[in-house]
This record gives sequence, C-alpha cells and structure tokens, in this order.
Amino acid sequence: MRSKSVSFLQILFLVVLSTAPAALIGQTSLRIAAAADLEPVLPAILTQFEQETGIHADATYQSSAALTAQIQNGAPFDIFLSADLGYPQKLIAAGLAQGLGDGANGTPIAYAHGTLVLWARKDAHLPALSMDLLRRPEIQRIAIANPDRAPYGRAAVAALQKSGLYEAVKSRLVTAENISQAAQFVDSGNADVGFLSLTSASTPRLKAEGNFTVVPTSLYNPIEQGAVLVTKAPHRVEAKTFLVYLMSTPVQQGMREYGLTPSRPVP
Amino acid sequence: MDWQALTLTLRLASLTTALLLLIAIPLAAWLVLGRSRLLPLVQALTALPLVLPPTVLGFFLLVLLGPRTAIGRAITALLGHPLAFSFSGLVVGSVLYSLPFAVQPLVAGFASIDSSLLDAARLLGAGPARLVRTLLVPLARRSLLAAAVLSFLHTVGEFGVVLMLGGDIPGATRTLSILLYNQVENFDYPAATRTAAVLLTLSLAALVAIYAAGQARDAGQVLRGRGGTRA
Repeated sequence: MRSKSVSFLQILFLVVLSTAPAALIGQTSLRIAAAADLEPVLPAILTQFEQETGIHADATYQSSAALTAQIQNGAPFDIFLSADLGYPQKLIAAGLAQGLGDGANGTPIAYAHGTLVLWARKDAHLPALSMDLLRRPEIQRIAIANPDRAPYGRAAVAALQKSGLYEAVKSRLVTAENISQAAQFVDSGNADVGFLSLTSASTPRLKAEGNFTVVPTSLYNPIEQGAVLVTKAPHRVEAKTFLVYLMSTPVQQGMREYGLTPSRPVP
Repeated sequence: MDWQALTLTLRLASLTTALLLLIAIPLAAWLVLGRSRLLPLVQALTALPLVLPPTVLGFFLLVLLGPRTAIGRAITALLGHPLAFSFSGLVVGSVLYSLPFAVQPLVAGFASIDSSLLDAARLLGAGPARLVRTLLVPLARRSLLAAAVLSFLHTVGEFGVVLMLGGDIPGATRTLSILLYNQVENFDYPAATRTAAVLLTLSLAALVAIYAAGQARDAGQVLRGRGGTRA
C-alpha cells in the first residue's frame, strides 16, 4: 500500500517536471484573441504567417464580448480581432488597447467585413431559403448568436426587425453563445434554420451539408470587424508584424475565399 | 432579480433529484449486492460524467438526441419536438450529469452496512427489493441525504450542459447559472452580483436547514436508542 502511494507521487512529480519546459516554450508565441467567426479563417492565415516570418501564433476563439471581458481583466493576449468595432473601441477608451502606429491610438484597424447568411441543412428539405420562409409554421427553431454580445447575433435581430418578422418569430429563436455554436445548433439538426456567418457557411463541412442565402445587407448595419493591439502585449513587435501582415494585399485578397470581405478594395 | 430563472432552476433541480434517487437507489444496491462480472464496467460508466467536461457532455447530447440519430428521431416523434432547447432536454442532461453525485454516496453508504445483517435478512428469505427497502435505505439515511443534497446542488450549479443544450430560452432553459453568465458577459456586474448573492444565500440556507434537520434526527435516535437499552 505504502510503496504504491509513493510511486504514484513519483509519477505525478515526473509529469509536472516533464510538462514544465513545454509551458516555458509556449510563452514565446504570439497570443491572439479572435471572434468566433474567425475560427474557420484564421488557422490558415496563421500557418502562412509562421512560414513567412517564423513567428508562431496561437488563437483563442470566443464571442467578442467574452474576449473583451478577459482583456479587461488582464488576459495575456497580444492582439484582439473582434467581430465588430464597438468592443475594440471600448478597450481603446479604457486605455487597454490601441491601433497601429505610435500616434494612432484612437481607432481600431478595420480588417474585414462580415456577411450574415441564413443557413439550413439540405436534408431539412425546405423550399428555397429566404427571410419570408421564416414565417412558415414548420420552421420551429431558428438559431441565432446571442444579440447582446455577438455582432452576428445583433445583425440577425436587426434583420428580423427590419423585415417585420421579429415579433412573429421571437418565440422560435434559440440563442447560441457565439456564432460557431449557432452553426452547431443547425448543423446537428436541432434547429431548422440559423443565422450564421458566411465564414461558417463557407467551411467544407457546412458547404457539403447545407444551403444558404445571403441576408440582404440593407437589413442590418455592416459587420465591420476591428483589430487592436493590447496595450500590455507581451510581444509588441511580433504583434505589430502580424497586424501589418493581416492588412497586406495577399491576405486581404484571400479573405473572400473564407467568407470575409476585405476592408478596402484590393486588386 | 429574475424570478422566472430562479423557479425554473429550482424546478429543474427538484425533478432531477427525484429522478436520480429513483435511478440511483436500485443501481447502487445492485452495485453493492450484485455478483455480476459487469459490475466494474457499470461502476466505471456511472462515474464517467465526472471525467467529461460538461460542455462536451452537452454537445454529445445535442448531437445524440438531435433529429439526425435514431434515438433523437424516436424522442422527437414521442414529444413532438427535439429534446434540445426544452425543459425536458435539460432534465435528461442533468440526470446524466449529476448521476455520479447520486450513485457514489449511496454505494459508499450501502457498502458500509454490516454484511452480517444482510446475510441474516437473506437467510430469513428477504429478496433484493425487500433488502433495499427495509435494510439498505433505512440504515444508509445519511448517505441518501448526501446523495440528494449533492444532486440538487450540482444541478443548481450546472452550466456547461445547459449552455450547449439549452438555447437560452426564458422560462424553458434560461437557468440561474445561464442568467448569471449572461449578466457577466454583458458587463452588467451589479445584476450579476445580485443573482450570485441570491443563489449563494438560498443554497446556504437550504444546506444549513438540511444538515440541521439531519443532526437533530440523529440526536433524537441516539436518545431513543439509549432509552431502549435501559428499558
């Protein structure tokens, strides 16, 4: 009995020792807080970035509001890529983040525009997707991201209100924590349709399994996505390098492929 | 204060606790009294929800109970709607999630009962149902109380499963923990503090009441027991 417990302690000790160096190495890479709609987009950009600059970056994907709260409370991120401009502005106002360049502290860097789509599984056998389809009684559950904290959720509610559907469908809305979870709700068949980001709808999986229609952009305010440098960024130089890279023509050009619109006209 | 979320949470926790006791008492009795070779496997399976992160458990349930599986389709046909985004879905999720918290104390309680008592009862012809009813449950009252309290509290504090499975519908799936999370995420810290205070005060009061009642009853039994030996 006694020798068994000693050996268990020894194993624990070894595990702790062997993982310690890994934790130290981990500290040298860039940490990016990214809005959930970037989950299908950013990994490829980060891989390319590492190949070109040798800088390794790790990303954390959550709703823009959750990331803002974490940065406010000292989370050790270098860069925040929000799905809107409001949260980055809030961080700038609090002195916790800044734009690019030493003087330009005041505004987030608009790096892309998001697009809202209405998505349904092919095997749901719905007629052609449109906003009006939502009136139908067979649409029992409509997934949206939380409008209080996810810019795509806010856009979805705005689109429903502007098309006069909100009151009619309000009781059928199911709210997901972020835009990726909204995709999960529809993709698993639990919701009939969902308001998703074009970035989700453009992933190979959702492309194969479903159909989507782009929600008319006249129905919601543009989803302008903003980036900021976290003021206390542990890796300032690398973080600036990444933001410059993100705004470079090849990266901006590539964004369409993933369902984002470049922030400025690119050739 | 959102009383709807509070009553919903209490309703969910009560129903889950009642169902869990119904399931866990026979299950724990079987685990203690049984002779099957499957015992270790079943025991391990009942402990598994402790290992899985709640959000992962919630995700599996979302997919497993969804309309894309045979089980999910059967449930949908039975209820008229999928289990996800409904109160009944949360009950199913909570029962699975809190199962170890009901089973483990009962197994410990039943196992600590003097086996000669069980042997004597068996010799006198008591079947398993009678053993459970007249010996195990009365003698393991404290464990039963612990199982009920732990299941109830664990369900009140449940978050990940509800987040994945619930869809945040007021009156159906917006529990106190989800409400609290919403308030924190929306930077409404004063409201979040109030919700947390209500949650903590209620839980503390309920726990004190239950433990006090348990202590009083034990004291009563000790006194009655002494009286008996004197007589």
